[in-house]
Amino acid sequence: MNLVVRLLAKPWIWAFVAAFGVWLATILFTGGASTLGLSQAALTFAAFSIIVGLGQMFVITLGPGNVDLSIPATMTLAGTVALKVMDTNNDLIVAGIAATLAIGIAIGIANYGLIKLLRIPPIIATLSSSFIVQSTAIWYNRGIRIKPPAYLAEFSTASTLGIPNVAIVALVISIVAWVLLEKGIYGRWVSAIGQNMRAARLAGVPVDGVRFATYVFCAVLAALCGFLLSCFSGGAALNMGAEYLLTSIAVVIIGGTAVAGGFANVPGIWGASLFLFLVVSMLNTYGASAGVRLLLTGLIIIAVIIAASRKQTV
Amino acid sequence: MKKALVLSTLAVLLASSTALADTSGKRIALSNNYAGNSWRQAMLESWAKVTGPAAEQGIVAAADAFTTAENQATEQAAQIQNLILQGYDAIVLNAASPTALNGAVKEACDAGIVVVSFDGIVTEPCAYRIAVDFAAMGKAEVDYLKEALPEGGKLLEIRGLAGVFVDDEISKGIHEGVAENPQFEIVGSVHGDWAQDVAQKAVAGILPSLPSDIVGVVTQGGDGYGAAQAFAAAGRPTPLIIMGNRQDELAWWKEQKDASGYKTMSVSIAPGVSTLAFWVAQQILDGQKVPQDLVVPFLRIDQDNLEASLESTPAGGVANVEYSLEDAKKVIAEAM
Repeated sequence: MNLVVRLLAKPWIWAFVAAFGVWLATILFTGGASTLGLSQAALTFAAFSIIVGLGQMFVITLGPGNVDLSIPATMTLAGTVALKVMDTNNDLIVAGIAATLAIGIAIGIANYGLIKLLRIPPIIATLSSSFIVQSTAIWYNRGIRIKPPAYLAEFSTASTLGIPNVAIVALVISIVAWVLLEKGIYGRWVSAIGQNMRAARLAGVPVDGVRFATYVFCAVLAALCGFLLSCFSGGAALNMGAEYLLTSIAVVIIGGTAVAGGFANVPGIWGASLFLFLVVSMLNTYGASAGVRLLLTGLIIIAVIIAASRKQTV
Repeated sequence: MKKALVLSTLAVLLASSTALADTSGKRIALSNNYAGNSWRQAMLESWAKVTGPAAEQGIVAAADAFTTAENQATEQAAQIQNLILQGYDAIVLNAASPTALNGAVKEACDAGIVVVSFDGIVTEPCAYRIAVDFAAMGKAEVDYLKEALPEGGKLLEIRGLAGVFVDDEISKGIHEGVAENPQFEIVGSVHGDWAQDVAQKAVAGILPSLPSDIVGVVTQGGDGYGAAQAFAAAGRPTPLIIMGNRQDELAWWKEQKDASGYKTMSVSIAPGVSTLAFWVAQQILDGQKVPQDLVVPFLRIDQDNLEASLESTPAGGVANVEYSLEDAKKVIAEAM
């Protein structure tokens, strides 16, 4: 009983409740026959939202005005360059991963450079850098789709013990993020900056260093996600990151992280990512038309956010 | 194949260059709203490939391509106004919106500029439209299924981007076809946004709750390969998936054909339709009588010309044809 009360007090529980609800509604439609297939599909596709969502969560936690809009472009560039570097060759996988990380780090540095040195607000800085990054991806190979090396294609689409490999990757990254946030000084610093940047600075928090690291972290995760997604779906496409801009922000909010910054949580990202995939599957399964589907998705998201934020204020 | 195309284009250009002296001083601009996918990239390449030589040979004075950054109607309207000020004689237009650019298009017409819209057409009456009969394209898919699967069965429909005219039209054609052929039944419908990864995700989400005897997947292009991957990932037998002329789709089809004799068809619009629009604009500037509304033919690939089409399609690109002046004259004559 005590456990239930404590669980209900968590801001992230509502994302899981919602995800479980739509999951149940979907499998009931088929009398339970779709349980395994649907669960595996949900874990697979949620994994990509989780990876970008974690990076976005740290950025948003830095406080009002902090958001990274360059995630889709970073994903596209990383996927495009990495696959071209590897050129379907299994021996070059390490080089491909190195290129991915280098791109993430470079874009993160560029983003924070614009924010800090040129004093451009993050929303404008990351938006404008995303144009440059996206154009670079277009220029780099003109939308030519190169297949991933066989090992990577196999790895990213396969499962281990029934759990999709990409979900395992997302789990490892989530554990790292959770340790950083809950157990390390870095997480305290991020939250402190988000609660009050001035107070954090006066308290001796290395504000610039932490913000810099956070933007780099977010860009690296976006690059990794682009790399995984292009391996998973058989090649990079120029528009492949597009849907992850809103998704990355939505999973942060639905997961119970404070929009105004200062409070973050990792489990909520999982609940929200699963929920966002499952709600579309559920409405497709019930044969809702596109208009109804978008309307219901919006209403359900609002309901979850209201439920989550109420618990927080009590 | 490519060489023959270039040669025949050149031959046409040479043969008709004397008759076209009238347009040698004319400048044509391409106003394009989006460049961020492989179809649009191929469209711009085709434009450069055909209009470059045309300008060099003096058929037109210039044929410059302009693309807006943000795929916004307001931005493209401003771009059209710039093109008017720069004194172009014709604007070939792939529009961000069928209606929102009408004001800017009207201004161009009033300034004596010929406006030819294609793919993303505009409704302003003074503009020329090279439209695609998308509903007929959807119906052609069902017609093919009727032949390939005479017993009929359950179908999955992958639609495009919700709320876009093209999506409604293709889907309308498909549903009309299915209504005429009651042996088919659409048991599920998802939106794939014409993108491989989105289609894969949407199909993977609905597949577990669909019956196991899906015989066919009707699509809108760009989504066939993603659908195939979703079926494979779910461990289901691959149904007949209609393809949309993307190289990855054709390559997958070829693999399946070689391995198991897999049969399907592929249909879409060739990105080279931009060159058709170019020649139509040139014909109008040349003083030819051209109807306001033209229809562009589909590019269809079948079992027997799959290899040839795949060979001429660049890796990651879209099956394409560039249109010649002769093709443009034929399309114009058909619409008369």
